[in-house]
Amino acid sequence: MSVITRPWSRLTLAGKIVIPLIFLFVLLNVLLIAGFATGVLPFLGGLLLRIINDNVDIVRFIGAVTALLLFTVPAAFVIIFMELKLIAFVNLRLGPNRQGPWGVLSSTLHGLKVLAKEDFTPTGADVPVFTLAPVVTYLGAVMTIMVIPFAPGLFGIDLNIGLLYFFAVAGLTTIGLIMAGWASFNKYSLLGGLRAAAAIISAEIPLTLAAVGVILLTGTLSLNEIVLRQAGSALDWFVFQQPLGFVVFFIAATIEAGRTPFDMAEADSEIVAGFATEYSGMRFGFFFFAEYVNLFIISALTVTLFLGGWNAPFDIAIVLDRLGIVVDPTLDPGSLGMGLLWLLLLVPPIAILLLALPFWLLRSDWSLLKSLVVGFLLFNLVVMVLVGIWAYMSFPFVAGIFWFLGKTFTLVALFVIMRGTLPRIRIDQLMGVAWKWLIPAALLNIFITAAAIVILRDPSLPWNGGG
Amino acid sequence: MLRIVLKIDGERIVDLDPVLGYLHRGVEKICENGDWHHAISNCDPLEYAASMFSEAMPVLAAEKLLDLEVPRRAEYIRVLAWELNRVASHALFIGWLALDLGGLTPILYGFIERDEIVEMLAALTGQRVLFNYLRIGGVNGDLNHDFMSRLGDWMGHALHRIEDQQRLLNANEIFVRRTKGLGIVDRDIARRTCLSGPVLRATGVPYDVRRAHPYSVYPELDFEIPTREEGDSYARYLLHLDEIKQSIRIIDQVLHQMPDGPVMAKIPRLLRIPPGRAYISVESPRGQYSCYAMSDGSDQPFRLRIHDPSFFNLQAVGLVMPGNLIADTMAVMASLDPIMGGVDK
Repeated sequence: MSVITRPWSRLTLAGKIVIPLIFLFVLLNVLLIAGFATGVLPFLGGLLLRIINDNVDIVRFIGAVTALLLFTVPAAFVIIFMELKLIAFVNLRLGPNRQGPWGVLSSTLHGLKVLAKEDFTPTGADVPVFTLAPVVTYLGAVMTIMVIPFAPGLFGIDLNIGLLYFFAVAGLTTIGLIMAGWASFNKYSLLGGLRAAAAIISAEIPLTLAAVGVILLTGTLSLNEIVLRQAGSALDWFVFQQPLGFVVFFIAATIEAGRTPFDMAEADSEIVAGFATEYSGMRFGFFFFAEYVNLFIISALTVTLFLGGWNAPFDIAIVLDRLGIVVDPTLDPGSLGMGLLWLLLLVPPIAILLLALPFWLLRSDWSLLKSLVVGFLLFNLVVMVLVGIWAYMSFPFVAGIFWFLGKTFTLVALFVIMRGTLPRIRIDQLMGVAWKWLIPAALLNIFITAAAIVILRDPSLPWNGGG
Repeated sequence: MLRIVLKIDGERIVDLDPVLGYLHRGVEKICENGDWHHAISNCDPLEYAASMFSEAMPVLAAEKLLDLEVPRRAEYIRVLAWELNRVASHALFIGWLALDLGGLTPILYGFIERDEIVEMLAALTGQRVLFNYLRIGGVNGDLNHDFMSRLGDWMGHALHRIEDQQRLLNANEIFVRRTKGLGIVDRDIARRTCLSGPVLRATGVPYDVRRAHPYSVYPELDFEIPTREEGDSYARYLLHLDEIKQSIRIIDQVLHQMPDGPVMAKIPRLLRIPPGRAYISVESPRGQYSCYAMSDGSDQPFRLRIHDPSFFNLQAVGLVMPGNLIADTMAVMASLDPIMGGVDK
C-alpha cells in the first residue's frame, strides 16, 4: 500500500494508470450498490429498455452507422497493406517487412503517423470549407456502405431505392474534392479538384447507365433484392447476363474511385498531390482513408450487382453430397455430458504435444520449448479452421460474409495490380473514353437487355405461350 | 532540380519557361583551380546518370593536347565501360519515362538493370555512380575477376530483360497513346536548337559521334546507328530500346576482341600539358558530349568549356510544348531526358 501514499509525480507509468482505475472501480461499486438499494438503477434501466423498444428503428440505424464507421478503418488498413505488399510483388520488391510479421502493422502505423502530424492550414485558405472538405469526402464514402448487403440479414438498411441512394451519396465525394481543391488556395489543388470533378461527372453517367441493365433484369433498386435474385450457382450471377454492362461498370467504377490508370486528380508527377496538396495531419488522413474506403465500396457494389453479392459460387452441400460425404454440423454440446469437460481438458494438451512432436523429432536444432510453441500455434490454427468450417456450415451469415468479403477483396486486389501495371491516362483521353465509348456502350447494353426481356418474358408473344 | 513556369489556359499550355540554375555549382571554374587529374573527378557529377562520359572530357582533351597514344587494351576497356554505362542510363530512361506517366513498375525494373551494371562497374572502378575511372593515358586498373563474372552473368539475361520491359510498355495502349504523336521534334527544330543524341536520331538524322567523328576504337567495331522518322516521344522511347541492343552488341564484340597489354601509357608524374587548344567529343547517352579545352602550359587547365547535350535538348521543350496539356509536359520532358547536373553545370 505504500504505492498509494507515494506522491503522483513519483509514480511509474503503470501506477499512473492502475491507481485511478482502482479508485474508479471502488467508486463504481459504491454507486452501483447505492443505486440498487434505492431502486434508482432498476428504474433507469427499465426506462432505457422502454426507449429502445419504442425506437428500435433509430437504435438499429445508429448501431449500424457506428458499426460501419468502425468497420471502414480496419478495412482501409487491410487495403492499404494489400496495396503496399501487392505492388511490391509486382515491382519485384519485398515491400514492408519490418513492422510485425510480413509488415502487417505498417498500414496501422501509417495511420498513427498521420494522426501525430501537424494539422496545418495555409494562409489564404477558406478555413470553414477547407476544414469541412475531408469530412464531406469521408462521410460520402462511408454513408454508401449503409445499403450494401454483407450477408443474409446483415446490412445497414434495406432501402427500396438503395442503388439510387448509393449513386446520390457517392456523388457527395466529388463535392468534397472540389471543396478541397477550391479552399486550399493553391494552383495544384484547384487543378486537381477540377480534374476530379470532370472525371467523376464523366464516369457517373456510364456507371449509372450500366447498372440500369441489372435494374431491368430484377425490377428493383434494392441491393438486397438484387443479391437475392442472383441466388443459385455462379452461373446465375448477372455478370453472365450482363457482360457488356459489367465491363462498362468496371471501367466507370475505376474512374469513380480515382484509381490508376484514372488517378489524374492526384497525379503526383504533374500536380504534386492534386486536391490534397495543402492537407496534412489527420485531414489528409481522411482523404487517404476515403480513397481506400471508396475502393472498397466500389468493389463491394460491383460484387453486389454483378458477382452475386454474398451468394456462394457453388452450393458446397450439394458438392459434398455428390462426393458421398455427409457433414452434419449440428452440434449439441449438452448431449456430451461429462464427456464435454474431459474433451476440453484433454484434447488441447494432447493435440499440442502431438503437433509439436514431429518438429522436435525432425529438427535437431530446435529446443523442446520452441517445438511446443510451434505446436501450440499450429493447434490454434487448426482449431480456428475447424471452428470456421463449423460456423460456415451452421450460420448462413458467416458464409455470406466469407464470400462477400472474399469477392470484394479479390476485386480490390485486381484494382491494386492494375495500379502496379498501368501508366496514367490523360484527362482529355479519359473524357473521350467516358463520353465516346462507355456511354454508347451502356446505352447499347440497356437496349439489348430490354429487347431480350421483352422477347423472352412477354407472355403475349407466341413462343412464351401467348397468342 | 528544374523549375518550369507554365502559362496555362485550363489544362492547355499557352507558354512555357524553364528556369535553370538550381543545380549550378560552377564545375568549369572549379576545374581551372585544380590540376588536370582533379578535373576528372570534378567532371564526374556533371552527368550523374552516366558519369563515365563526362569524366572522359578532361581525359580526352589532355590526351589530344599531349598527342598521347593510349594502349589499345585501355581503349577497349574504356569502350566497354562507356557502353555499359550507356545501357544503365538508357534502362533508367525507360523507367523514368514510365514513372512520369504514372506507371510504378518499369522504374523498378529499370533500376534492377541499372543496379546490376552499377555494381559491376563498382567492382571495376570502386564506386557505383561517380566512377573516377578514366585516367590521362589509360584507365585506373585492369579488368578483374569480380567484374568479369558479374558481366558474364549480366550478358546472359540482359536482352531477355529488355524484352520484358518491351512487353510491359510497347503494346500498352495507355502508354502508346500518352507518347505517340506527342512532343514532335522535327528536323528544323533539331537544327535550330543544336539537338543531338537519341532526340536527333528520332527525327531521322543518323548522326552519331561514334560514326561521324570516330574516336577510341569505335571504327573497329561493328554496330548500327538506329534511327526513327517520327520524332515523337514514342519514337524516342523505341530508339532507346534499339540503342540498348546495339550497345550489348558492342560489348559482345569488345569482349571478344579485347587485346592484352598495359592499361596505362607512360606519362610523367607531374603532368604539364603543352599550351594549345583542343576540341573533343564523345557520344553520351544523351547526345554529343564535347569539350573545348585551353591549356597555358601549366599543370592546370586554363579553360575547360563543356558542352552538355542535356542543355540543348532541354531547349526543345519550349518549342514543342505549347498547345499540349499539362500532363504531356511530363511525357515530353522525360523523353527528352535532360540530366540537370549537366544542364546547370
